[in-house]
Amino acid sequence: MASESKMIMLRSSNNEVFEVEEALAFESQTIKHMIEHDCADTVIPLPKVSSNILAKVIEYCKKHVTSPKDDNNELESFDAEFVNIDKNVLFGLMSAANYLNIKSFLDLTSQALADIIEEKC
Amino acid sequence: MAYSFPEEVLEYVFSFINSDKDRNAVSLVCKSWYEIERWCRRRIFIGNCYAVSPGIMIRRFPEIRSVEIKGKPHFADFNLVPEGWGGYVYPWVIAMSRAYPWLEEIRLKRMVVSDECLELISKSFKNFKVLVMSSCEGFSTDGLASVAANCRNLKELDLRESEVEDLSGHWLSHFPDTCTSLVSLNIACLGSEVSFSALERLVSRCPNLRMLQLNRAVPLEKLPNLLRGAPQLAELGTGAYSAELRPELLSSLLDAFTGCKKLKGLSGFWDVVPAYLPAIYPVCHGLTSLNLSYATIQSPDISKLISQCQNLQRLWVLDYIEDGGLDILATTCKNLEELRVFPSDPYGVEQNVSLTEQGLVSVSEGCPKLQSVLYFCRRMSNASLVTIAQNRPNLIRFRLCIIEARATDYLTLEPLDAGFGAIVENCRELRRLSLSGLLTDRVFEYIGKHAKKLEMLSIAFAGDGDLGLHHVLSGCESLRKLEIRDSPFGDKALLANAAKLETMRSLWMSSCSVSYGACKLLGQRLPRLNVEVIDERGTPESRPESCHIEKLYIYRTVAGRRFDTPDFIWTVDEEGNAPLRIA
Repeated sequence: MASESKMIMLRSSNNEVFEVEEALAFESQTIKHMIEHDCADTVIPLPKVSSNILAKVIEYCKKHVTSPKDDNNELESFDAEFVNIDKNVLFGLMSAANYLNIKSFLDLTSQALADIIEEKC
Repeated sequence: MAYSFPEEVLEYVFSFINSDKDRNAVSLVCKSWYEIERWCRRRIFIGNCYAVSPGIMIRRFPEIRSVEIKGKPHFADFNLVPEGWGGYVYPWVIAMSRAYPWLEEIRLKRMVVSDECLELISKSFKNFKVLVMSSCEGFSTDGLASVAANCRNLKELDLRESEVEDLSGHWLSHFPDTCTSLVSLNIACLGSEVSFSALERLVSRCPNLRMLQLNRAVPLEKLPNLLRGAPQLAELGTGAYSAELRPELLSSLLDAFTGCKKLKGLSGFWDVVPAYLPAIYPVCHGLTSLNLSYATIQSPDISKLISQCQNLQRLWVLDYIEDGGLDILATTCKNLEELRVFPSDPYGVEQNVSLTEQGLVSVSEGCPKLQSVLYFCRRMSNASLVTIAQNRPNLIRFRLCIIEARATDYLTLEPLDAGFGAIVENCRELRRLSLSGLLTDRVFEYIGKHAKKLEMLSIAFAGDGDLGLHHVLSGCESLRKLEIRDSPFGDKALLANAAKLETMRSLWMSSCSVSYGACKLLGQRLPRLNVEVIDERGTPESRPESCHIEKLYIYRTVAGRRFDTPDFIWTVDEEGNAPLRIA
């Protein structure tokens, strides 16, 4: 019998609520900590993350949680495409990655920003 | 929408940016980036130890883990820099011992290092891992003993061509039995025997040992055992490669080399007995680097070896290879990137080997990836240089040393201006160039016009007058290091291009036509340059100002004049004086 995955509710800075599976939400050490230490209600407020950024973060986590572990090539091209975006959105993602403490996401976005800087140097 | 990042995020981003150039650019973006960057810079390269002081470095970069410092000018390699010139690392080590308790790496080139320094290093930095001393001097095996004994986590000890006072081989036994961290050990420059049993035990208990370069005193008989203790070696420098002909030694060596599946680089090969060369045939195919610059073997043996090294990227060899061997190199080694051919008999009058410009032309034709060349030979022609230039526009370093000074094009008896002109015109990415042969101001006109990426230029016995130097100083936008000997360059070009000198690391001129008066003017006009007059005839103040000085070394600095000069060096100060140094 398939077990029901527990759902977590995340509220963005502009009050939009996103419902996500717990496994996905736990990619964020910040959220994981809040839930494990009972610091949050039914809905977790994320006042530093706007909804369009939060949507993208969720998209990243979903891809990384659901992808088979050995499919590195696919993940790599997903990641490369994912950060091929407008600089301001990249900054937003970096900020969120740091605030939500998602290491792989912070690595990805930081490297992308470093690449941009090196190109300009 | 403007995002203000917490500093640690920016710092994290900067940790992905490692080249000095990019780091320097990042630090100039704004004050807060300057601050963040300076706290997270871990690695620093100082191309001239007198350009900046230890205090300035420490003040700006408080968390350095890795330092690389260079001292004497390059012409020190040709004995043009007198003994006692300077380049002492002691003030750096003292300052760093207080400021950088977590320092892990020190890399030095052409510096004077004392045993006290080595002891201080070994005791001050608890996590010290890497010590590389390239062409250094001033220390003995006692200093090495301190390093071996006290550096618990030592990974690299590399003495590359340093001059070491070799008191005994016992220093090696100072590595404690608990030392298993070595990754790289290069003792090739040491003269005396080291304790073999200590060496064998050290090698076999360091599972990560990747590079081992032995000295000449390690006999061939000891090699198989050493290799069996370290089959994971990637680079090996043999000791003397000679022994009486014994089939069992040959097969033992063959066995041992066959077991080294990861070997990529070979060097050493003193006193080669050719009959033992087949022992390395099993590894030839995998080799990317081969240094035969001590191997006095003849062309057929070299060729036999090279014909099996299809993956070679770097070859250093004596001119015994001859044109024939270079032809084989050109046919076999399609991945060759760097070639250095050294003279077996540089002071001999007659040519002893059949190596000419043809060998280099062959290699330039056959090796599409060739980018770096150092070639000693006895004749050259403009036509060959033009061919080489057209074959290899991807050259980055080109150093040609025709042994006889002012040698003409051997076919036309003309200067070699056109040939070198073709090199700079075709090789747009050229960063380093050494000239030789008969050259007029023309060649400098070509260089000034075309060599826009040139960073280092070496000139000897060349040019007609100041115009040549003027072309170089005014035209070469990327020039960082210029070294000139025995050429008629003088005051006019220097003074007309004085400001250029502040954009360069250094200028060396010896046996040229620079007057003391011009030096004084330079010192006055450019306070951020140190203008050092080297003259072993006594103070230049005792001669007329129009008198030519012996040697001149000018470098930019933010540290002001130095105070460790010997009594034959005068630093021109801002008033244009070079006061007698008070001992």
